[in-house]
Amino acid sequence: MQEDLKAPEERGKEVSEGAGSEELVKMEGIHKWFGEVHALKGVDFSINRGTTVGLIGDNGAGKSTLIKILAGLIERDRGRIYYQGEEVEIESVRESQQLGIETVFQEQAIVDPLSVARNIFLGREKVHSFGFGKIMNDRKMLEETEELMEDLNLNIASPDQEAEFCSGGERQGVAIARAMFFDADVLILDEPMRALSVSGKEKVEEYIKKARDQGTGIIYITHDLHRVYPVADRFVFLSRGEKEMDIRKEDCSQDELSKLYRRGEE
Amino acid sequence: MNTSGKDIALWFIQNFVWLLAGAFFVVFSVTLGRMFFNLNNLHFIFYVSSMVGMLVLAESIALISGNFDLSVAQNAGLTAMLTGVLIVKFNIPGLVAIFLTILIGGILGAFNGYFIGKRGLNPFLVTLSTYLMFDWLTYVIRQTSILDLPGIYMFPGSGKIGGIYAAIFIFLIAAILLFLFLKKATYGNYIYAVGGNPDATVMVGVNAGNVVFWVFVLSGALSGIAGLLYTGYAGAITSTLADGKMFMAFAGAIIGGISLAGGRGTATNAVGGIILIGIIEAGLTMMMIAPQMQGFLKGVLVFVAILINQFRTSFRKRLLMPS
Ligand SMILES: Nc1ncnc2c1ncn2[C@@H]1O[C@H](COP(=O)(O)OP(=O)(O)O)[C@@H](O)[C@H]1O
Ligand SMILES: [Mg+2]
Repeated sequence: MQEDLKAPEERGKEVSEGAGSEELVKMEGIHKWFGEVHALKGVDFSINRGTTVGLIGDNGAGKSTLIKILAGLIERDRGRIYYQGEEVEIESVRESQQLGIETVFQEQAIVDPLSVARNIFLGREKVHSFGFGKIMNDRKMLEETEELMEDLNLNIASPDQEAEFCSGGERQGVAIARAMFFDADVLILDEPMRALSVSGKEKVEEYIKKARDQGTGIIYITHDLHRVYPVADRFVFLSRGEKEMDIRKEDCSQDELSKLYRRGEE
Repeated sequence: MNTSGKDIALWFIQNFVWLLAGAFFVVFSVTLGRMFFNLNNLHFIFYVSSMVGMLVLAESIALISGNFDLSVAQNAGLTAMLTGVLIVKFNIPGLVAIFLTILIGGILGAFNGYFIGKRGLNPFLVTLSTYLMFDWLTYVIRQTSILDLPGIYMFPGSGKIGGIYAAIFIFLIAAILLFLFLKKATYGNYIYAVGGNPDATVMVGVNAGNVVFWVFVLSGALSGIAGLLYTGYAGAITSTLADGKMFMAFAGAIIGGISLAGGRGTATNAVGGIILIGIIEAGLTMMMIAPQMQGFLKGVLVFVAILINQFRTSFRKRLLMPS
């Protein structure tokens, strides 16, 4: 399986008219138990190149659990996962990253005592390689971070600032900047708009659209239909560990969708 | 940016331990005069500090990784004893034995690391058990001291280079290497990350369990070197070689400002803590303060250090938090 993985720089952005058709990820019959809690009850889920899927559901529906399985953070108990048509086992976050999946977790995954730059590159540092080991190239990481911060309109005083002293919105910005930097084939955003200012949200939406147009498959998790409707191509509703609905935007107006969502709530 | 004032304040609270060490040094120099303030005495303070210093470094990386290690001193004792027995039995040359010490220390540390890092057991309970096991094993392996050890093996702990104890150089080199490793190596960065937020570290794709495992291996290897230095200092391997030093290892790290919460602290802080303790120990001994009283005073010092650390954390927050 390992030899099928493409190095990040080879992973193509060579998307043309085929965009939106190639299936990137398919999850089949996924089950997950946390002790007695049956968090996922045989969920099917898929995402294609160049599409954004809104994964919607109430708190505790199982959204985060589903994507954490794809991100390699937790193990499924049953079911299969295919990546670009081939069955894969994703046993760690590293393996998921190597497949081309980037995840912005709901928990943000920010280490307080580390600088913003070191947070962004944590686990994938820019290094000077010597025979005996790897020395971090802090200057390179600071420069790259500076650029990313500009792209995202993040007004953090310095890329060298400790993450502890970032506001909630800035932390979310850092988490998103990290996913942006290692541009992925599949981008998972779990409640990405939390704590962001209006302009921050707009920036992220802009980025989502751009990434989608370049062929990225985006999984956008939220319970806010309002925000996801304009950017998504498809909507998947999850409720109590089961998929309730999988509907394309063409087939459904925002009003109809919110009615369906509310019905599902009851 | 408005640097100056804020930066100076930050520098002061970050290097507070050095100021404290300087203050005690002045106080003892004034009250004890020439008896304290002479080169031989300072040399001796650094010499004794370098041994417990290795244990402080061992403890510090465990603390930075968000764990702790109660077994460092007992590891030093058991490692020295195991090496000594092997030297006697197989006539191992001194240089090989020195490497053996580091290896055995690392292996004992790996035992802690496996159960804490890979199996997720509580570091307090695991290292408390290994503390007791190492202690007992050291005693059981051999009750009598090992005296006839190769000269090369004794050198690190007792020899001098250019008139200065080799142990001081060994300690300083270890501290500098550790400092650079923590600051500049990717793996050093992971140690801070695991200590600062283990869940986040896993989420970005770092194998946190592995990092913790290697932290304990490194901590064990440093403890093993401490055992080597203590052997040279004592001139023999006894079953009580580094007894009771675990407390000092903690005290040095905490006084040096290494956070018990993990993720913060540097090797330089730890060195400051070691020197402060060394100065206080020497000063109190020269003032003819009874050992029990010294123990009490060290307890007071650690307590004060904890309060200072807490103050330092909140003060730092106030300085750096964006309003
Ligand atoms: N690590 C865990 N341990 C135990 N239960 C969990 C864990 N993670 C999630 N759950 C449970 O699984 C269910 C789904 O949770 P989650 O996937 O976080 O939902 P969502 O993201 O849709 O809000 C909930 O009942 C939650 O309590
Ligand atoms: Mg969730």
